[in-house]
Amino acid sequence: MWLFSRFIARRLAGERLRSAVTALGVALGVAVVVAIRLANVSSVRGFEQALETMAGATSLEIVGSAEGFDERRLVALTWLGELGRLSPVIEGEAMYAPRGIAGSASEGDDRAAIEGGRRRASAGEMLRVVGIDILRDRPFREYALRSSGREGEGPSAREFLDLLRDPRAIILTAKFAGRHGLSNGGRVDLAIGDRVEVFTVAGLLDDVGPARALDGGIALMDIAAAQVAFGKLGRLDRLDVRLDEPEQVDAAEQLIASRLPEGLTVQRPSRRGRQVEQMLAAFHHNLAALSYIALIVGLFMVYNTVATSVVARRSEIGTLRALGVSRGRVLRLFLGEALVLALPASVVGVLLGRVLAVGAVALTSGTVSTLYVATGSAPPALDWTHWVLGLLVGVPLSLAAAAQPALEASRVSPTAALRGADRLETRFRLRRRFLVAPLALAALGAWLATRPASGNVPIAGYAAAVVFVFAAAFLVPAVLFAMARAGRRALGFRRGSPVPGSPAPAHRFFFVEGWLANASLSGAIPRLSISIAALAVSLAMMAAIAIMIGSFRETVVYWVGQTLTADLFVGPSSRSGGARQATISEEVERTIAAHEAVEVIDRVRQIPVPYGDSQAYLLAGDFTSLVARGQQLFKDPRDGKAAIRATLGEDVVVVSEAFSIRHGRGVGDDISLATPSGRARFRIVAVYFDYSSDRGVIAIDRAVFARHFGEARPTGLNVYLREGADAMAVRRALLDTLGASHRVFIYTNAGLRGEVLRIFDRTFAITYALELIAVVVAILGVAATLLTLILEREHEFAVLRLVGADRRQVRRMVVWEALMMGAVSQSVGLVVGVVLSLVLIYVINVQSFGWTIQFHMPWWFLTQMTLVILTATALAGLYPARLAARRAAPIREE
Amino acid sequence: MRVMARHRTAWLLAGLIAGAVPAGGQVSSSWKQADPSYRLVLPRDHAAHPEYRIEWWYYTGNLAAADGRRFGYQLTFFRVGVDPAPSNPSRWAVRDLHMAHLAVADIDGGRYRFSDRLNRDGPGWAGAATDRYRVWNELWEATLDEAGRHVLRARDGGLGVDLVLTPSKPPVLHGDQGYSRKGGEEGNASHYYSLTRMETSGRLWMEGEEVAVRGASWMDHEFGTSFLERGQRGWDWFSMQFEDGHELMLFQMRRTDATRDPRSSGTWVLPDGRTLPIGADDFRLEPLDRWRSPESGAEYPTRWRLIVPRLGLDVEARAALPNQELRTTRSANVTYWEGSIDITGRLGGRVARGRGYLEMTGYTGQPMSEVFRE
Repeated sequence: MWLFSRFIARRLAGERLRSAVTALGVALGVAVVVAIRLANVSSVRGFEQALETMAGATSLEIVGSAEGFDERRLVALTWLGELGRLSPVIEGEAMYAPRGIAGSASEGDDRAAIEGGRRRASAGEMLRVVGIDILRDRPFREYALRSSGREGEGPSAREFLDLLRDPRAIILTAKFAGRHGLSNGGRVDLAIGDRVEVFTVAGLLDDVGPARALDGGIALMDIAAAQVAFGKLGRLDRLDVRLDEPEQVDAAEQLIASRLPEGLTVQRPSRRGRQVEQMLAAFHHNLAALSYIALIVGLFMVYNTVATSVVARRSEIGTLRALGVSRGRVLRLFLGEALVLALPASVVGVLLGRVLAVGAVALTSGTVSTLYVATGSAPPALDWTHWVLGLLVGVPLSLAAAAQPALEASRVSPTAALRGADRLETRFRLRRRFLVAPLALAALGAWLATRPASGNVPIAGYAAAVVFVFAAAFLVPAVLFAMARAGRRALGFRRGSPVPGSPAPAHRFFFVEGWLANASLSGAIPRLSISIAALAVSLAMMAAIAIMIGSFRETVVYWVGQTLTADLFVGPSSRSGGARQATISEEVERTIAAHEAVEVIDRVRQIPVPYGDSQAYLLAGDFTSLVARGQQLFKDPRDGKAAIRATLGEDVVVVSEAFSIRHGRGVGDDISLATPSGRARFRIVAVYFDYSSDRGVIAIDRAVFARHFGEARPTGLNVYLREGADAMAVRRALLDTLGASHRVFIYTNAGLRGEVLRIFDRTFAITYALELIAVVVAILGVAATLLTLILEREHEFAVLRLVGADRRQVRRMVVWEALMMGAVSQSVGLVVGVVLSLVLIYVINVQSFGWTIQFHMPWWFLTQMTLVILTATALAGLYPARLAARRAAPIREE
Repeated sequence: MRVMARHRTAWLLAGLIAGAVPAGGQVSSSWKQADPSYRLVLPRDHAAHPEYRIEWWYYTGNLAAADGRRFGYQLTFFRVGVDPAPSNPSRWAVRDLHMAHLAVADIDGGRYRFSDRLNRDGPGWAGAATDRYRVWNELWEATLDEAGRHVLRARDGGLGVDLVLTPSKPPVLHGDQGYSRKGGEEGNASHYYSLTRMETSGRLWMEGEEVAVRGASWMDHEFGTSFLERGQRGWDWFSMQFEDGHELMLFQMRRTDATRDPRSSGTWVLPDGRTLPIGADDFRLEPLDRWRSPESGAEYPTRWRLIVPRLGLDVEARAALPNQELRTTRSANVTYWEGSIDITGRLGGRVARGRGYLEMTGYTGQPMSEVFRE
């Protein structure tokens, strides 16, 4: 311990800035990992918690198809009553729509509604409406009706029913009412689908039971009223079962499953949570994988710090060894250095992660709400698992990163080190290895990239990416050597010793500082390569992600341009708030159809359906119209339209590419879907390109849909206008006519394209944010390395001053060094980035999201990035440069 | 005067459930009023009469196991109209509410258990058939078999009854051939009859134990629309089955001013089925002991002395078990005492013994003027 404090701790303390920067690197890495974990957990937990609180005492639930099931089937289920109590449930979504806020006047207004997914905005807040038979539901869920006058047990079912029997009665949570200034007995305007309906607040629920879910965004209605309000007459969404013996849930589940008639399924309430988890898995895995990049960069810094201290102190190590300190002790000394850096850094990282999580949730909850499920917006509190995660990724990995240099330290031969004779040998060895390793690694990466995904997680793909990252890291020394040689040649020097400070006629050259910078970099290759590699790796990832996103965006732009052919797109406003079942009413459809400029209306119904362990979208549209007017891009067969035309009216579906890849189903395969009257099989006749949802889309002809699922209102209308009609004018006219009575959004073709790209960009905002952090960490690493070098080169600077260099020249030389490091990093980063982007596009993306992306180089972005990185590294060199200039006093007596 | 107002409990329940019907007066007009010209015909009129607002089927009985252990049971089905023609086309729209109460008393074991059901029709989870006698609430039901016997089935976990009841006496039509006036106004009346003695056999369940039982039951069926009584605090109602073949139905209405309501009355049923009315001035009823419910806090008289000088009847009715209080605080929120009683005393100079059921309401401190909100 004494030795540690003298030998390591004093040095760490002495180089406070460098230690701090290294620790900050690790801390940021850990923070990002923890933050993303928190953000991911928050989106799933938000949903699961809502599910849990709303399930109450429900042990099992009986569900039918995505369109619910026919309530008459309950009669055949009376036997269920022998197992426990039963409560039928209708669920629906409504949007708070106070009078005075009419339908969107401009396309920008829709944006506010969509951003309302964060449920802060006053109007546009979504309410999950639960329609129950309170007479049945009493034993299931606890509702604390405010000031019901009875203490303890709360209102009786009969009193509750009295409150709800009016078809316009709704019970809100006190929290929600408080948020919007609503009071008991007052009215509340809710948009259901596209209609605004006026309800009477029949009661307020205190923060108990289901009222706690979704931040109070829960409302109760009577089941009969809810059936009418949500267009579900004759249907139920599910039947909750509360077993008399809840501990027998396994046996009961089996028994019920064996007795349930075709088309009905028994499941635990938590299953819906697992489906959501599955659905979000790919999105979450990718974020988690990205979050580790910053950590990897941080680990490079640990390696760098320990390696630097080993290299710088070879002779001291030799002395220690000569004095009888064992190899093991030397190894432990340097591992201890890593530990001293990593432990506090990891602790700080976990805390910092909680702070970053707020930002990460803000960046991701919008995406999750828009693309997946409405969810909460606050990250969960830190618990012990996050500490374990933070410390487990921070500390052992830091030790692993330090292992190699620490081992090398332990191998220092006392005599050689004392003589100063083993340096060259070490460097030579490094050079040889570094020439071979990148190639071997690249080959391994290429092989891994061809491996299939396990489940929906592209493990091999991620591994390939990591391997390429290491290949890039190992490539750096080779590049540095090459550059050093090239630099010397370019600057007109003959082959010579790369050792800095070698006598040379420096005065002959204008860019003497540049030459010196090159020379000193060449001399410090082993030490520099690590920080350059760290920067190169993060830049490679940045470039790769930029290329991937750029390619993806181009692909989407092309796809949108090809497939969005209608002139106007109409949907219920509540959908932009996250309502997934919201429909278009007949009045709206009639109003639109009546407009003189409207030629054809395509009715589309898109609803989420459970499929396998996950969820997909079921899209019912008019196949005749698709064949006539649609511009879908088909993957298989190329002429998908012909395949559809040939099977019109049959039990066939067309699936999206994402669905096809996710579930391994292609043309000719059958899929089975739960319909209200039982399971039905559908044959896949075509696979089409679609980038609207990674969960996959199953498209079905409206007529076939109606046959199996019954008639249902469309969730959207695609409107085609007559030749020469002004879409903007028609849109305005329609919105004016629909006015305050209805809540619809209408996009023009151009408007919707813009909206698609806006959502796209928002989806990837988090990606850029994560990358940015990694790059910042890496640039810090460059600064830290330069600082180290400068501290070691005091003597060299003094010599430079002695031979006539002024402070400015010294400063400029160091900035040049930084710039060169940046340039090398960026060039390696760009090359490896392209390779990585290929892995991302053709392996990881396909395996986790299942879509084809056309490769596209975002030249403009990459150019900008290069300029920014060069500037940033030069700036990172400023402080070390100033320090160097200050320290470079003319030489003292020696 | 033959005003039969047995089972004021039902009116209490009716008042509770229908109390919030908007603009109370209008509701009655859309329901059918009791009609003096209507003639009750059995078994046709066992079935439901949904055009009236309120209807119930009420079974009570004293039974014994083969080993002599004594049990009492109560199974009642209520239908209370809420809205004769709901505008909402949903099956879940509330036209009627269906309520059912089940109670079993293990008299020797000192145990009393009860359960209740409260449902709307929904897709047929509760209801009362009109084409034949079948009334049900979830899995509980009362119906007629081919032989004209009443079949009762109700279970809730370890509690339940599965009984077959054979009427051994003709039905007793209360009031004027079953038209029973409830007040001064025309139409304030009900159609009402009883089966005062039914041979009973079957099984019951008490805390999971299945017991084969035999004994005698009593059934009431009443339907109507307006039954308003004001200023009443509660009532004490007796059904007695004497060993010599007589039955007595008798009740007193207690007013808020602590006096007995003049409509208190009863019916004396002779072994051959003929009936004699008992007016309010014909009997004296005196509470003796009281029992306080630890659950509701209500104090119920559990021992009564009844004297009907005209009949030479002087008997004591004692609760077979003090705690036979039925509470439905979570569902309909009704609390009353309904339980098996033992009767001993003298009838016309001879020793009279019997069993019966007693119903006591209005002891929970809630005045009935609040209960009848219309």
